[in-house]
Amino acid sequence: MTWVVWRQHRIQAYFAAAALAAFAVLLLVTGRQMASQYHSALTSCTASHTCANLANTLILGTPVVSLLVTLTVVVPCLLGLFWGGPLVARELETGTNQFAWLQSITRSRWLAVKFGWALLAAAAWGGAVSALVTWWSSPVNALQSQNFQPGQFDIQGIVPVGYALFAVALGITAGTLIRRTLPAMAVTLVVFTFLRLVIGQDFRSHYLTPLTKTFSFLHHPVLPTGSYWLVSGGVVGPGGRLPSSPLHGGLNVSFGGVRIPVGSTPRACQTLVFQNPLKFTSCLASHGYHAVITYQPAGRYWAFQGIETGIFVLLAAALVAVTAIVVVRRDA
Amino acid sequence: MTPAIETRALSKRYRRVTALSEATITVPEGRISALVGPNGAGKTTLLRLLAGLARPTGGEVAVLGSPPRQDPAFLADIGFLAQEIPLYRRFSAEDHIRIGAHLNSRWDGTSVRKRLESLGIPLNQTVGTLSGGQRAQLALSLTLAKRPRLVLLDEPVAALDPLARRQFLAHLAEAVAEGDLTVVLSSHLVADLQQICDHLILLAASKVQLCGDIDTLLAEHQVLVGPRKDTTAIERDHTLVQAVRTARQTTLLIRRNGPVIDPEFEAADVGLEELVLGYMGQNAGPVPAHLTTIGEDK
Repeated sequence: MTWVVWRQHRIQAYFAAAALAAFAVLLLVTGRQMASQYHSALTSCTASHTCANLANTLILGTPVVSLLVTLTVVVPCLLGLFWGGPLVARELETGTNQFAWLQSITRSRWLAVKFGWALLAAAAWGGAVSALVTWWSSPVNALQSQNFQPGQFDIQGIVPVGYALFAVALGITAGTLIRRTLPAMAVTLVVFTFLRLVIGQDFRSHYLTPLTKTFSFLHHPVLPTGSYWLVSGGVVGPGGRLPSSPLHGGLNVSFGGVRIPVGSTPRACQTLVFQNPLKFTSCLASHGYHAVITYQPAGRYWAFQGIETGIFVLLAAALVAVTAIVVVRRDA
Repeated sequence: MTPAIETRALSKRYRRVTALSEATITVPEGRISALVGPNGAGKTTLLRLLAGLARPTGGEVAVLGSPPRQDPAFLADIGFLAQEIPLYRRFSAEDHIRIGAHLNSRWDGTSVRKRLESLGIPLNQTVGTLSGGQRAQLALSLTLAKRPRLVLLDEPVAALDPLARRQFLAHLAEAVAEGDLTVVLSSHLVADLQQICDHLILLAASKVQLCGDIDTLLAEHQVLVGPRKDTTAIERDHTLVQAVRTARQTTLLIRRNGPVIDPEFEAADVGLEELVLGYMGQNAGPVPAHLTTIGEDK
């Protein structure tokens, strides 16, 4: 059966291998350049004692490659659409399953081999792309400390493997249930995108209880170290948390990454915004206000990667079970 | 000896439609059985139930002594060719032969290659570029390459021209002559079936109308032609299948119970086509308009 799967999907495999190879060459070349650029910048800033400001002055890489790297966020979804979607649906659509299912091989074995190779390929490709992106991003991660931020978190580490497994399983399941390739692909796209957004935006920040940090407006804020993830920030006063307000006169005042809702602050302080931001924050402090952030510390990065990957792997496993039941039980 | 196929009150209901109702049939081993009936009579459903591609909603079915099941040993014994002739369009005949070799413990790829060569069907051309007749021949060869004990063919010759049809049936007859093989072949084309089949299953309106040896069935039936008159006496002694009455003449198709003794009626033997049409007409209602299509190419 493995030979049959290979015969059926080798064109896709060649195509995907070629795309991966091209991507690998691009990232290896630009990644080396970027690493040396970062190290020489680090050497010169150490000599001139200006490294504290390096993140604001040094721009690493070219916009095109950076954009391409950011776009790898769609790779798992593409695997789900083009590998998962047609895998079973194409056979049901053309009736070739009636040919395959009357060879001397049970449907469960037929599905297991097809599904198994598809998942293996998804994990390999998702993992390879992610490994390249993670390696390529290491100077940027060191410089910007942003790899825990949504967007970067999603394309580095091990989560892309979980996404790829889930996307391919979703494609196969949708194809098995709908029995048509194109609608299956459409459903895969919608469901995958929806789940990724919901889990990324509403669930991820709650995997572990965020830590809280309070800043006085009188001192320079001491931010958490490393690539922490700022989950929320706000200003708390005697009457509780200030509601966020539209920008006051187009002015954006922020303190330690926390945007201050100027319109909700005491009127006495508001007038100071235009004169001197420092006087403004002192005024807030004298009225009993302080800034509060909740965040996930940098040390939790791999725990979060593991939890998110686990969630998607479990979802994929559930889909495998559903597909197996449907293929074995339902009439051909 | 266990029959190749034995069903009892076999039924298949889809959500609202009954595709097959209480079908009880027996096909002894070594027979070539013609499965005939109008469109929508349940022929495909019956074949799919026998092949294990669909599950019955009622009744019992035994194929080669056991219910159809997901088991390599059972699947190896069954050859099934669906009406759409499902093959991988982008694969060549050679690819299909190799797929078969990988998926079957018992596989005779050599016979397929020989057969295709003798028919002039290219082995390395993609299936999508072959003609309908060539595809059907390839599919039949692949079905037989498993060396199955039971072959189920769903309207395999419907799309073929007369020459291809003859080649196909000759191929099938050859395979049956070679080995210990039972065949069930569904078709509209009664004339073709008559040449190679020795057993008949007649379905109409989701029900089995007739099932048995063709010669026996033909001997049991008779056509009576006589003047227009009351036929109650004949209907009492024999089973009336179909009656056609014109102003002057009555034509009766009956299943005999003993000899017919009515001097006014002339008895004649029944042909397979007549018999089939008689039973189909019985179920089609007073104006069997669609019967005009039976026996013609699709």
